[in-house]
Amino acid sequence: MKKAISIRSLSLSKAGVGTSTSSVTNIFLVFCLLSLVSCMEWDYGLEEEFNTSTSGDGLFICNEGNFQYGNATLSYYNPETKVVENEVFYRANAMKLGDVAQSMIIRDSIGWVVVNNSHVVFAININTFKEVGRITNFTSPRYMHFISDEKAYVTQIWDNRIFIVNPKRYEITGYIDIPDMTMESGSTEQMVQYGKYVYVNCWSYQNRIIKIDTETDEVVDELVVGIQPTSMVMDCNNKLWTVTDGGYEGSPYGHEAPSLYRIDAETFTIEKQFEFKFGDAPSEVQLNGTKDKIYWINDDIWEMDVTADRVPVRPFLPYDGTIYYGLTVCPRTGDVYIADAIDYVQQGMVYRYSKDRMLLDEFYVGIIPGAFCWK
Amino acid sequence: MKKLHIILLLVLLPAFLMAQDDNDIKWYLSLPEIPIYAERPIKEIGVQQTKFDSIVLCENIALSVADVLTFNSSIFVKNYGRATLSTVAFRGTSASHTQVSWNGMKINSPMLGMTDFSMIPSYFIDDAVLLHGTSSVNETGGGLGGSVRLSTKPAKNDGFGLQYIQGVGSFKTFDEFLRLTYGNDHWQTSTRVVYSSSPNDFEYRNHDKKENIYDEDMNIIGQYYPIERNRSGAFKDFHFLQEAYYDTKKGDRFGFNAWYINSNRELAMLTVDYGDETEFENRQKENTFRSVMSWDHIKEDWKVGAKAGYIHTKMNYDYKRDLGNGVMAHMIQSRSKINTFYGNIEGEYYIGKKWLFTASVNAHQHFVESRDKSIIQQDGNQATVGYRKGRVELTNSVSAKWRPVDRLGMSVVVREELVGTEWSPVIPAFFIDGVISKRGDVVAKASVSRNYRFPTLNDLYFMPGGNPDLKKENGWTYDAGVSFAVGKEGLYLLSGSANWFESYIHDWIIWLPTTKGFFSPDNIKDVHAYGIELKGNLDVALSNDWNLSLDGTLSWTPSINEGEPRSPADQSVGKQLPYVPEVSSSVTGRLSWKTWSFLYKWCYYSERYTMSSNDISLTGKLPEYYMSNIALEKTMSYKWADISIKGAVNNLFDEEYLSVLSRPMPGINFEVFLGITPKFKN
Repeated sequence: MKKAISIRSLSLSKAGVGTSTSSVTNIFLVFCLLSLVSCMEWDYGLEEEFNTSTSGDGLFICNEGNFQYGNATLSYYNPETKVVENEVFYRANAMKLGDVAQSMIIRDSIGWVVVNNSHVVFAININTFKEVGRITNFTSPRYMHFISDEKAYVTQIWDNRIFIVNPKRYEITGYIDIPDMTMESGSTEQMVQYGKYVYVNCWSYQNRIIKIDTETDEVVDELVVGIQPTSMVMDCNNKLWTVTDGGYEGSPYGHEAPSLYRIDAETFTIEKQFEFKFGDAPSEVQLNGTKDKIYWINDDIWEMDVTADRVPVRPFLPYDGTIYYGLTVCPRTGDVYIADAIDYVQQGMVYRYSKDRMLLDEFYVGIIPGAFCWK
Repeated sequence: MKKLHIILLLVLLPAFLMAQDDNDIKWYLSLPEIPIYAERPIKEIGVQQTKFDSIVLCENIALSVADVLTFNSSIFVKNYGRATLSTVAFRGTSASHTQVSWNGMKINSPMLGMTDFSMIPSYFIDDAVLLHGTSSVNETGGGLGGSVRLSTKPAKNDGFGLQYIQGVGSFKTFDEFLRLTYGNDHWQTSTRVVYSSSPNDFEYRNHDKKENIYDEDMNIIGQYYPIERNRSGAFKDFHFLQEAYYDTKKGDRFGFNAWYINSNRELAMLTVDYGDETEFENRQKENTFRSVMSWDHIKEDWKVGAKAGYIHTKMNYDYKRDLGNGVMAHMIQSRSKINTFYGNIEGEYYIGKKWLFTASVNAHQHFVESRDKSIIQQDGNQATVGYRKGRVELTNSVSAKWRPVDRLGMSVVVREELVGTEWSPVIPAFFIDGVISKRGDVVAKASVSRNYRFPTLNDLYFMPGGNPDLKKENGWTYDAGVSFAVGKEGLYLLSGSANWFESYIHDWIIWLPTTKGFFSPDNIKDVHAYGIELKGNLDVALSNDWNLSLDGTLSWTPSINEGEPRSPADQSVGKQLPYVPEVSSSVTGRLSWKTWSFLYKWCYYSERYTMSSNDISLTGKLPEYYMSNIALEKTMSYKWADISIKGAVNNLFDEEYLSVLSRPMPGINFEVFLGITPKFKN
């Protein structure tokens, strides 16, 4: 028993609808006009002037941003004034930094910011944050290491090559082929140099440290460590330190207890292995300024003398209900900076502790603060 | 220059068409029929739904269902670009909280949980219904936001029929649609084909990067925002749909639907990508086959039906780069296969006009194989990273619907689901509606339901990161609303509704990065989503020749994170979820005169936060945007055929806008459609 009125069956005289017609037409016209004046406006960025040349120490924080969303940012923190400036790359250059800011190094007042999924390395003035150049078209860059003013290496993931670049000309000049590695499972990460050799930890589905002769740009040796060495540094005694994450449950590459390794750079042999509990996920091995203490994250923040025979019983800073994502130590003061990505979709927090474990400062930076670089 | 193109189009096209002979023209333009029900169907007691008729769905062949929903509903369509992934979400929930069925069979990906609506041509759908919130429990479980019911139906033709439409548009876009039909008293068959292709290399001003100008010493001497083309965004989509229906005219109806999709799409580069497009290939290929067979036995007081179906999906994703020697080497080579078998039995039984009892059993058996990466193991052998799993999903429901008096109706639905080896608790839903005033057909509705959504297969088993310990998401939803419909014979029809809703969702699953470099899901959030949905429709016969139709929607949907802080620094608690607009709105106006029809579509999304803390940064800004599309159509009828010609202008005001960060969207663009429907002597 439904009563349906169909518009198709309507029949009416023009006189009968005159008033309604005009009012409805007016509504329609008003709506059209409203939408005409409601156009969205886009704010083009204005370039901001910075000058931090007189500020002494400075800490750059690479905020990865969310993968595929292009919201990586660069923050700058002045440890003396405790002032943080966020989005300095955008503010200085009126453009985005890109997708996944992976790492940064400084050479001669130029900061080199490696932006992984944008296939680019930006060169910026470290005082004004202005871009001075860029090298493009990498596969998936991770870290950069200078051999000389005119030669640097850039490691990659999803590529079995390390790219050789000329930073002066902003050009890719060649490649180092990594043996026993395919494009699909390619992964080269952090680099440290001892003499004419550069050592690189190979991370994703890898278990090696490779040794590259910088004169021939060839891999001349490799050392098998545990599964997935995540990071690497070299201490004051020319010992390499790398920490593995042990893989993950179900991985066809294997899953094991992770370890911290001390490797003699001269002989390229493992001197010491500190094994963690199965299921732990240590990462971010770092050094202090005098390079006689190492630090790493394993839920808690850990500190250890480079000559120690065993891992300390108690952490430097205990786990505080969040997942620490980045770590650095001020080379001058020994202050420890810890990045908390919180939920990975909001501004992360950086905590600054003294070497005596006192909380000195805390400040919000960008999304997923992952890497630090000291000025 | 572009604006001039519009003016030329709008001026010249009508002028050209006016030259046609209108003597034989009949009334072909159709406006939606808006019935005013004095009595509401007992099956729909208390149900909050939005229906789309063929006028909306068949507006033009270039549209996907995602486009239709964007401009004709208030649900949020997250669009990653032209001919790119488009997901829909109700009421501040996520895409995986929207359950989608096609002819009764669930088509959400069992791996991802969501549905890509850009892969559903609107011309392939004859009926689309949105079931908001609790109302989805009538159809299925797991629709914490709601559900979308898509279906085809017999064409009801007598004899042979043919329709062909060709569309040619900006960016070398070609759309073709062909439909062949045959029907008699018992049989109805239909074959539909859609093919769309485009290099999709639209130009846009890239705000996110600058091009450098260097001097000989490689010093930057100038910078500018480049006008770029959408790079690596080409697509070729082919769809084939075969239908056959047989009606015994003695109460038995049989149906068969088979839909094949072959899609080859590049994935467009981000606005912040500095790679050379000629050296990278980022491509997704999909082959999907869906089929459903159905039988319904219909008697005066009861009905039974059964369905059987099968889905096969093969998805290949390849990310390659040129090694410098012309060889494209794989960086990522992801392969997935899904086989789903579907079965359904349902029945309805009426006792007089006051009672309706229904029962249904739905079963989906999924077999999934996912290979994401090829690696060299420590012993030098090759291995793949992935998973292979099977899972049964069973959902059973019974309902009792009661209308003791004309003005009041109540309905109870009880549903239970088995996913894998785990049963959900009972999912109850209660609906009530009542006529407040017969004058104006003012009807009040209210409903409440509990609901659960099980983790997807990727949530549980994806390598790396799958979390087999995930709990199912769960929540309560409350709905209440009022609707009215008034009309005056021969003058106008006006209807509208206002609906308030409130949802509490617990153990919301979110993928987060881990310290091991991959993402992993966890039950993180508790979310309180609430708000108001308004709908309105006005149809007016302005004169014998002029008709006007206006449809509007407005949604206000706060979706608030009410979980525990993840750390002392967490600023997200009490804040709107990222990428969920608080306000969205759409308006469609259709003005017709004789055989001319003018369509104006408009939609609005408020600013979306990109951070859970709701901070707005320079880098993460997604401003509100308004979008306007228009179309002008002229139909002509000859003895041998009906001809239609249509011009459409999308993004009328050439807005520079973003739906998702770093995904370019096209500016103003045009498409012209020519349709022919020959008249056979049947």
